[in-house]
Order: sequence, then structure tokens, then C-alpha cells
Amino acid sequence: VLLVAYLGYVGLGAGVLQALERPAEVQAAQHLLQQHWELLANHTCLQGPALQRLIEGIIQAYKSGITLQGNTTSLGRWDFSGSFFFSISAITTIGYGNLSPSTVAGRIFCILFALFGIPLNLVLLNEIGQLMLLGVQHCAHRLEEVFHWQKKASLLIKTCALVTGLLLFLLLPPLLFSDKEGWSYEEGFYYSFVTLSTIGFGDYVIGMNPDRTYPGWYKNVISLWILFGMAWLALVIKFCINFLE
Amino acid sequence: KAMCSGKLQTGLLVVGYFVYLLVGAAVFQALERTAEKQEKIAAAQMKEAFLQNFTHLTVAEMEQFMKNLTEAIQNGVYPVGNESQIEDSNWDFSNSFFFAGTVVSTIGYGTLRPKTAGGQIFCVFFALFGIPLNIVFLHRVGKMLSLLCKKLGKFLYEKGMRKKKIKFLTLLFFLATGILVFLCLPSLFFQITEGWSYSEGIYFAFITLSTIGFGDYVVGKQPGRNYFSYYRTLVAIWILFGLAWIALLFNL
Repeated sequence: VLLVAYLGYVGLGAGVLQALERPAEVQAAQHLLQQHWELLANHTCLQGPALQRLIEGIIQAYKSGITLQGNTTSLGRWDFSGSFFFSISAITTIGYGNLSPSTVAGRIFCILFALFGIPLNLVLLNEIGQLMLLGVQHCAHRLEEVFHWQKKASLLIKTCALVTGLLLFLLLPPLLFSDKEGWSYEEGFYYSFVTLSTIGFGDYVIGMNPDRTYPGWYKNVISLWILFGMAWLALVIKFCINFLE
Repeated sequence: KAMCSGKLQTGLLVVGYFVYLLVGAAVFQALERTAEKQEKIAAAQMKEAFLQNFTHLTVAEMEQFMKNLTEAIQNGVYPVGNESQIEDSNWDFSNSFFFAGTVVSTIGYGTLRPKTAGGQIFCVFFALFGIPLNIVFLHRVGKMLSLLCKKLGKFLYEKGMRKKKIKFLTLLFFLATGILVFLCLPSLFFQITEGWSYSEGIYFAFITLSTIGFGDYVVGKQPGRNYFSYYRTLVAIWILFGLAWIALLFNL
């Protein structure tokens, strides 16, 4: 029965997403094709195959994380800050993918690094989650003592904690992102959720816009947010699982 | 005293975690920096060479075209070939199904992702309920796999082996068969179907099953290759059981 429910759920999602995304995709493809042919038409000496090769070359470069815009020798992606962020994305299993190792040695190291890093990350997240839970229970006890409520206090505190967590980790950060990254609120929310759930598509990644300047504390604060946010979301999902089982 | 040592442990854990990250960052940087530089130079040269061959193409037009192309690639539209490619959609049902699977398992390759605001919001809520569902589901599958292990243990016990030895052997057996079935054999399979090297296959298998899912390697995305019709379904089943195996491994 569970199998059927699972497959059904995934199938349902597939259907909905298909309906939502297909039209936009067709439009984008047609738009690009139009430009392609326009370019070829405007410059009749431009040969189709040569352009094809160029396009393939650009796609290849893009997959390696290189965009060919302008003449500026932009900052390398594998500077220390970028590598640090990459390490985080590996052991939290977020795995954005906007940056990924292209050398064989880098990949082998990545596997080994993740092999020990992921359990380490899980242990740490568990610790943080436990601390959060203890803090909430502590507050509940204090409230019970001060106000002499009995069962109400526990429920109230738990709801309060859920709401604070929601605000702190999912609802407020998008505001920061729309200021620093220029995303819409909805995009910031989408990014927050995709990151904290460790899905990590990589379509939105903070601090990657070459046209923007970021304050020094930005990436560090975000890293802390990811850590605590993941622990909180893991707790929430644990409660969901207990509810399901 | 117990609380003190507990806090010390947590502190050590936090410190250890950050040290681990820093070490990793340094190593990655050392390994990848030079390769990146080379690729940048190669890409710039390619651009230069192209402009030189077609000198009446202005730089501005070129930049505009590149910008549009990059945007299209970011949106998952690879303009290789001609118009007939519009018919093949990234969002046909089988691809959407695969996508939904990567969301729910939190792998999240990212080669395919929702662009519309509606698609993104739906994705968030879909994952909110799908991820717990996935975890519960994997739990069940893992239990089925562990039953097999218990049967093996029982068989050995009846043959007169000591319990500790049985536990060790079953763990070893579970680990070894798992690595074979979920890492080594699939990589051979991918060599044939995707044209990757063996080490690329292992890398892909590991990144997928750990749910990191960078998306630099994804099945069924090579242009110009014919995949037999149940390829993706087969890969999906592999991912499912592989994830359950890993989950079980953590429980043991």
C-alpha cells in the first residue's frame, strides 16, 4: 500500500509540474531558436556548423562553471570562500552543483570527504536539534512554574517555537535575499526551502552574482543560517514522520 | 560533572566540524584552481578565435548572443541541433516523474528545475510532504532488506557460529554486496549506456546515493544517444534501493 501511495504521490507531482512548466519551456526554446536564426541571417558568412561548435563550446564551459560574458577576468570560483561553501554543500548533501570538481583528484577527494563528512554533519545536526528541543522544553517548564499552567503551556510553547523557527528560517531570510541578491520574495522563499531541505537544485545560489557586492559577514551568516535552519527543519520533518507512522 | 563533559563534547564537535570544513575547502581549492584557470583560458581563446573568423560580427552582438545563450542553458534549454528539438520536452511526463523523484529523495540534481513561480511554490509544498513520505518509505524498504540479513544470520547460527561473529559477518556481507550491487555494477552499466568512464560512473553513483546530487552528471541527458524505453525507470529503482541500503547501513 505504501508503495502505491509513494508512486502515486510522485506521479501526481510529475503531472502538476509538467502542466506548470511546459508552456514556459516551449516559449524559451522558441525564443532562443529565433535569435539563433536571426544571428545567422544577419551575418551570412557565419557558417552554421561553426556556430554549432561555438554553442557546444559555451555549453561545455557553462557546465564547468564558466560564463563567457564580458572581458572581465572575474574572480575564480575556487577561491577559499568558494571552496569553503562547496565543502558545506557537499557534507550537508545540499549539493548545489553550480560548482563541482572537474579534476579526477578533486572528485576522489570529494567522495572521501563526503564519506566522513556526511555522518559528521548528521551528528552535529542531531546535537543542535536536541539542544533546540531542550531549550523549548526548558522554556515550557519555566512557564508552567511562573504561570501555573499545566498542559496548555507545553502546546503553547511548541507552537511558539514552530512559528519562531518558521519566521527565522523560512519567512524572514527571503527579505535579506531580496535586498542582497535582488530576488523576488517568492524566489527567496523557494531558495530557502530548497536549501534547508538539502534538495539544493543550484538554480539559485547566494553570493554568485558578479554584478553585486556582498558585505564581508554575508556568507558566514548564511552558513550559520543553513546549519541551524537544517537542524530545525529536520526536527519538523521528524515530527511529520512520527505523525505519518 | 556529567553536564560539563556533555557540553565539552558538543563544543569539541562544533570545533571539529568547522575544522573539517576548513581543511576540505583548502584541499578543494588546491586541487581545482589550476584546472579552472586553464578552462577559462581555453574558453576565452575559443571566443577570440570565433570572433576573428567572423570579423564583421560586432562584439556587442556577440555578447548579446552569448548572454541569451547562457540564459537558455541556465533554463535547461540546450540549443544543439535545429527546430525538431522543440518537440522533445524536458517536461514530458517521464522527465517530470524523474524530477519529482529527485525532489522527494532530496537528491535535487538541478539540471531540470521549475522556472515559473507557480512551479516553484508547488515544488516547496510537494517536498514538504514528500520528503517525510520518502523517508518512511525507505524505512520500510530497508526493513525488508534487513529481514534478508536476519535470515542469513539465522542460517549461520543454526550452523553453530557464535553470535558476535555472525553479526560481524552479516555486516560485512551487507556492506560488500551493497557496494557491489549499488556502486560497482551500476558504474559498469553506465559505461555502456552513458559512455562515461568507470571512475565517472562511481563518482555519479556516490553523489546520487548520498543525495548530494551536484547534477554535473545525470542519466539520460547525453545528446545524440538512444536510451531504451525503461532506462530511467530502471535507474530510479536502483536509486530507491540504493538509498534504502544506505539508510539501513546507518542504522546498523
